[in-house]
Amino acid sequence: MPTLIDTPAVTPAASAAPVGLALAGLEPTGGRPLRAAVIGTGKISEEHLKFLSTDPRAELVGVCDLSPSLAKYAASKFKAAAAYTDAATMFRQARPDVVHVLTPPHTHVGIVTDALSAGAHVVCEKPIAPHRQQFLDLWRLAQAKGLRLVEDHNYRFNEPVLAIEKLARDGKLGEVREVEVRMVLGGIRKAGRYADTAMPHPSHNLPAGVLHEFISHLCYLALRFLPPTVEPGTPDFRVAAGWSKHGAEPLFKWDDLDALVIAGPVHARIRFTTHAGPDTFGVTVRGTDGWAETDLFQPYLRVVVPRKGGQQLSPLVNQWVSGWGMMASAVRGFRNKVMQHTPYEGLGTFLGRTYEALRTGAEPPVTYADMDRASRLIDALLLDANRV
Amino acid sequence: MKLLITGANGFLGKYVVAEALRRGHTVRAMIRSAADAERNGWADHPKIELAHADLRRRKGLADACRGVDAVLHLAAAKAGDMYAQYGGTVVATENLLAAMEEANVRRIVSISSFSVYDYMKVPYFSTVNEFSPVEADAFDRDEYAHTKLVQERLVRMWCTERNWVFTVLRPGVIFGRGNLWSARLGAKGKRVWLRIGAWARVPLTYVENCAEAIVAAADADGAKNQILNVVDDETPTQRRYVALLRKREPRRPLVVPVPYSLAWLTANAAKLFNRWACGGKAKVPGVLVPSRLAARAKPLRYTNAGIKRAIPWRPRFTLAESLDRSLSSHDAALTAIRGAA
Repeated sequence: MPTLIDTPAVTPAASAAPVGLALAGLEPTGGRPLRAAVIGTGKISEEHLKFLSTDPRAELVGVCDLSPSLAKYAASKFKAAAAYTDAATMFRQARPDVVHVLTPPHTHVGIVTDALSAGAHVVCEKPIAPHRQQFLDLWRLAQAKGLRLVEDHNYRFNEPVLAIEKLARDGKLGEVREVEVRMVLGGIRKAGRYADTAMPHPSHNLPAGVLHEFISHLCYLALRFLPPTVEPGTPDFRVAAGWSKHGAEPLFKWDDLDALVIAGPVHARIRFTTHAGPDTFGVTVRGTDGWAETDLFQPYLRVVVPRKGGQQLSPLVNQWVSGWGMMASAVRGFRNKVMQHTPYEGLGTFLGRTYEALRTGAEPPVTYADMDRASRLIDALLLDANRV
Repeated sequence: MKLLITGANGFLGKYVVAEALRRGHTVRAMIRSAADAERNGWADHPKIELAHADLRRRKGLADACRGVDAVLHLAAAKAGDMYAQYGGTVVATENLLAAMEEANVRRIVSISSFSVYDYMKVPYFSTVNEFSPVEADAFDRDEYAHTKLVQERLVRMWCTERNWVFTVLRPGVIFGRGNLWSARLGAKGKRVWLRIGAWARVPLTYVENCAEAIVAAADADGAKNQILNVVDDETPTQRRYVALLRKREPRRPLVVPVPYSLAWLTANAAKLFNRWACGGKAKVPGVLVPSRLAARAKPLRYTNAGIKRAIPWRPRFTLAESLDRSLSSHDAALTAIRGAA
């Protein structure tokens, strides 16, 4: 059992951070689609561009990449009005209302600053910034400009996660007591972009190395089920994080994270490993009355709760319901495979709600509090004092 | 000449380096890993320099280009998703061309592929040559075809705008040691081979023959600003080539023939079903996509008349000799270079 160490108190500067509320300069756009632009046309851009090229609330006015060919490819495939290799030129000529920053994480701070300075709302891939303080600086700039800054928390909007949240909200699980978010990516040490020694991925230079690419997902998902009143950085929010490197790959700073977070009465385990298989993205939530789990890579939803039939028959009914649910999930899984639906299915929902909020002036689905808590938890996981 | 060869450690690249050395050129071989180069037999040749660089980033590329007379650009990504192949093929070529400009190198021989042709538009049993139609955008085709098409256009446009001298070579199916099967034949299992089609010609080019063509093109006046197909004199039918391969197997596998017409009907039925039931969004195996099936197995013929007119090249090894060399216990081409060193 790891030793639990309190996270340090929040710094005065951080405490004074603005809380995301309605922005003075943000006005509803009425029926006009928002002029959207994308910077960075790597793999994740495809998911954003699918939304931007089909949703009537968006008009894709530009895509930008350092590679002219990649920019042209994305513009041609997703019918963008123009392709650019220079973001400043795109801001000036395309005049986007919203800029999607989809470049590698180490470039986010600079590009987000430029986009906000150009007067555009920003949707940014996670993590917005390597450290919380940089996120707060960006947030203040957005506030000063009367603009929205939204981090992509796409897995929050996957159907199984929304279903588990609803179960918890409706009290079907009783009082939530345990959360486990577990990601297994067994192959990334041996092959693919993170293992490429000829061109080391820039994420290796992030504070948590390559794991920094993934821990945002784990943290924002875990935080959905932790009590919102217990803030990271307070004595009731305790963190112990075991960062390990079990493999010999020279590029990897760490290849395994096993962390325990205790927020009031709720325990959360945040687990990431490259030393198991097959690839998994599991979320399990346990309450006083029941539990629910899913795997976002092979989506299913298993719910074990008190059923009609009382204490005697509930286990049997749960088994039947779970079995039937798994069979239905297998059929859906096959359909998803054939129809090329990816685990990013929540991204469309996230972007849809974000664009709706930008049009109406409402709060986006990922709020300041959501982003701030996630970045505080990541900082806490990385804090030397919390290492085991 | 002093030649920079990208992709020097690749299946084709190691033979191109060996051939360039054999012809007396000085070679700068661009590699990612020195350990791989040592296995190729030419790493310690007196006329070779090794340049450690990765074309996906610009760092060090201009230095690698500096002082060479021409670049033989072989590096490309053959696997991975669209973005991995874009990075390894298209972005790599963008970076190389920018580095050549910086280093004032104005001659490139770029290796494209037969995959750029639009096989749906080529009439049955006609002959594919350099004037055959190429794909417009290849979104329907695989990642390899798409990225090779973009790469080829990029090279041509860049060189034309700057008055550089380019040669685009489109090799057919490059075969050799460890690479005898092709998707143009069908699917290969351990004991069962599924042969799709029978009478389509396979545009084979033995790797040593192909390497000779590439090096010959570097200093041939006739190759300047030309697009040339590279195939050997013998382009056997699928049926014959599969039979030749089968004969050389220690345990002869069972060959299951699927007529091209049946595969074509099935692919078109799958396409209609996909459009009707899935809005055209379903991902199906390549043989069930008509444009991909046609690229692999449509009954067509191929010619090397164009390249023979342009450069002094004749395929040195016959099909039988090529197969024998591919299956021999030692690699004669690379061994000879080691001996020369």
